[in-house]
Amino acid sequence: MEHASARPHPDAALLNPIENPGKMYYYIVVGLLVIILYTGFVYVRQLWYGLGVTGMAQPVTWGFYIINFVFFIGISHAGTLISAILRLSKAEWRRPITRMAEVITAIVLAIGGLHPIIDLGRPDRISHLFFNGRLQSPLLWDVASITAYFTASTIYLYIPLIPDIAILRDRGVKPRWLYEFLAWGWQGTERQHKVLDRAMNILMVMVIPIAVSVHTIISYIFAMTVQPGWHSTIFGPYFVVGAIFSGIAAILVLMIVFRKVFHLEGYLKHIHFNYLSILLLIMSLIWFYFTFSEYLTGFYGHEPNEMRVFWYKFAGDFAPYFWAMIVCNFALPVALLCNSKTRTIPGILIASISVIIGMWMERLIIVVPSLANPRLPYPTGIYIPSHTEWMLFLGGISVFILGYMIFARFFPVISIWEIEEGRHESAKIVTERITSYMPDPEPSTAGE
Amino acid sequence: MKWGMVIDLQKCTGCGECAAACKLENNVAIVDSGESEMGRTMLWMDMLTIYEGEYPRLRVRQIPRPCMHCDHPPCTKVCPVRATYLNDEGIVAQIYPQCIGCRYCMAACPYTVKSFNWYKPEFPPGMARATNPDVSVRPVGVVEKCTFCIHRLQVAKEQAKFEARDLREGDFQPACADSCPTGAIVFGDLENRDHQVNRLAHSPRAEKLLEDLGTEPKVIYLKEVD
Amino acid sequence: MNKKTIEALQILSISLIWMLFTGIAVWIVSLLKESLRLHDAPDASVGISIVAIPVFFTLASILTYVFIGLRKGRKEESEP
Repeated sequence: MEHASARPHPDAALLNPIENPGKMYYYIVVGLLVIILYTGFVYVRQLWYGLGVTGMAQPVTWGFYIINFVFFIGISHAGTLISAILRLSKAEWRRPITRMAEVITAIVLAIGGLHPIIDLGRPDRISHLFFNGRLQSPLLWDVASITAYFTASTIYLYIPLIPDIAILRDRGVKPRWLYEFLAWGWQGTERQHKVLDRAMNILMVMVIPIAVSVHTIISYIFAMTVQPGWHSTIFGPYFVVGAIFSGIAAILVLMIVFRKVFHLEGYLKHIHFNYLSILLLIMSLIWFYFTFSEYLTGFYGHEPNEMRVFWYKFAGDFAPYFWAMIVCNFALPVALLCNSKTRTIPGILIASISVIIGMWMERLIIVVPSLANPRLPYPTGIYIPSHTEWMLFLGGISVFILGYMIFARFFPVISIWEIEEGRHESAKIVTERITSYMPDPEPSTAGE
Repeated sequence: MKWGMVIDLQKCTGCGECAAACKLENNVAIVDSGESEMGRTMLWMDMLTIYEGEYPRLRVRQIPRPCMHCDHPPCTKVCPVRATYLNDEGIVAQIYPQCIGCRYCMAACPYTVKSFNWYKPEFPPGMARATNPDVSVRPVGVVEKCTFCIHRLQVAKEQAKFEARDLREGDFQPACADSCPTGAIVFGDLENRDHQVNRLAHSPRAEKLLEDLGTEPKVIYLKEVD
Repeated sequence: MNKKTIEALQILSISLIWMLFTGIAVWIVSLLKESLRLHDAPDASVGISIVAIPVFFTLASILTYVFIGLRKGRKEESEP
C-alpha cells in the first residue's frame, strides 16, 4: 500500500487501523464471513420449507425474530441519541465517543430492521406493504419510523465524517475515488465549517425525537393489543429507557474493545469510561424504577389474566430468566458501578456485558410469556428456539461485527477533526462558557 | 345482516363432531403428531377444556370454540395489509393471497383462534383427493381461521337468486351447525327477528366469552342451568 | 477516476436521495388515502403519519444544504 503520508499525523493512532489493518483483521473477517454464509444457508432453508423450521407454534407465535428485532433496535439507540444528547449538552468529553456510537446505530438499525422480514411467513409478498398497506396497523408505523431513523442517523453519521474523509483523501489513502466522492470538496474553509456546524445543529435536534419515537412505536406493537402483560401505557417510555440503557452498554463494550485492539489508551481515557458508566448506572436505576412500577401496578390490579402472566414470570417457567434479568440489569451493574473501586475498566466491561444480556432477556420476557398464557383455558404454550433461530441470532451479531470492522477499515472510528478542534478551541470556549455562568464580578473590579 | 352463532351448552355433549366436520369441510391441514406436540395443531373449531370446581366435585367440560367474529375485532386492526377484515355481513374474513404471514393478528387475538401454516399443508395419503373443492387449500406461511363457512353463504346466495327469492334461515348453515347431533349449534342472522339466533341471543342464559374486553363477539354461549 | 465523474456521481446521489424521499412521501399519502377510504384509521394515526413526511424532506434538505454549502465554500482556486 502506498501512503502519501510523508509527515507523521498528530493522530496517527487513529489512522493506523485504516492504513495498516494487519493480518489478524483479515482472519477475523474470513471467520465472520463463514458464519454469515452458513446463516444465509439456514435462512434459505427457512424460505424453502416455511417457518416450520423455527420453534414457534401456537400460541407462542412470535419468538427470537421479534425478540431480536426489539433488542437490536434497542441497541441502536446507543448511538445517535447519546451522541446527540452529548453534543447538545456541549459535553466536551464526548469528542472521542460520538462517532463510535453513531456507527453502532447505523449498522444495528439495518440489522434490526431486517428482522421483521425474516419473521414473515411470506417474505415474497413484502410488496403488499407498499401497495396495500394499512396505516391502522402499528407495524406500518414502525416501517415509517425505522426508515426515518435509519436515514436520519446515517446522515447524522455522515455529515460529521466529511472533514475526516477529507483528511484521508489528502493523505492519499486508497481507494481514492471513494474518499474524493464522499469528501464533497471539503477544504476546511471557514464557510464550510459554518455550513457543517449549522447542519449538525439542526440534525441533532431532529434526531432526538425521531429516536424516541422509534422505540416508542416498537413498544406500540405490543401495547396496542389487549393482551395481558402487553397492554400497558408505560410501555413506550419503558422501551425507550431500556433501549438507551442497552445502547450505553454496547458503546462501553465497543470502546473497551477498540481501546485494547488499537491501543487507543491516549484517546479513550479513564474519565470517558467513568462518565459513561455513571450514565449506565443512572439508566439502570431508571430501568428498575420502570420495571418496578410496571409489575407493581399489574400485581395490585390483580386481573386474573394479568396475574397468570405475572406468576409465570415471577415463579413459573420464566422465573429463571426473570430473576436473571433483575440480576443482570440491576443488581450486578449497580453493585459494580456504585463502588469506585470496582468502577474500573474490567468492572465496567462485566457490567456492560451483563446489561446487554439482561436487556436481551427483558425482550424475551416481554414477548414470550404474554403469548404463552392465552386468556382462554388453553394449555400453556411452550417455546424452544430451534437451531435456525439461534443461527440467525448469531448471524445478526456477526453481521454487526463485520459491518463495524469494515467501517473501521475505511473510516476513523474516532473523529479526528473533532479531537483537533477540541485541542485547539474547547479549553477557551469552556472557560468563556463557565465565566458566563458565574455571577458578574463586583462593579468596582469590573470597570475599565 | 349480521351472521351469528349460538351454542347451547345445555345441549352440547362435547362430542367434538363440530370440530371434525369443520376440519373436513374447510380442508384444514392435518399436521403429524410431532408437530401437534409442539402446538401446531390446526383447528378452526377447537374444543376448550373447562375445569369447574375441585375434587371430589370436579367437573370437566368440553365446549366448542369457533372464531368469535367480533364486531370490534382486535385482529383486523393490527393487520398491516388488510388480509383480514370485517365484511358487511359481520364475518371477519381472511384474504389468503394477501397475507404476508407476520402473525400479528394471532398475537393480538384474545381468543387465540388463529392458526398458521408453518409448513405447506399436507394431508394423509388418499385424503388429498377428498378435499372440499369449494374451499381453497391455503399456501404455506399464511394465517387462517374459521370463516363461518363463507363459501356456503356464496352457494346459498346463488341458489336463492336462481330461485328468485330471499335467503331463508336454513339456506346457510356452517358445517359445525349442520353436523351437531344434538342441535346445540344454531346459526343465523342476529338482526333478523324471524331467525332462531335472534331470539336465543336475548335469552337470559346468553353470555359471551371475555365480554369485558369489548370485542363484542357474535358467537353467543347459552349457559348451562343445573 | 476523474473529477467530472465524481462530481456527476455526487449529484446523482443527491437526486437519488430526493427521489427516495419523494417516493416515501407518495407512499405515505397513498396509505392515508386508502385508510380514509376504508374508514379504518383512527384520526390520531393519520395525524402522526402526516408528520413523517416533512421529517423526510427536512433530512433531504439538510443534506442538500450541506452539499451546496460545501461547494460554495471551497477556496477560489479550485473553482473551474
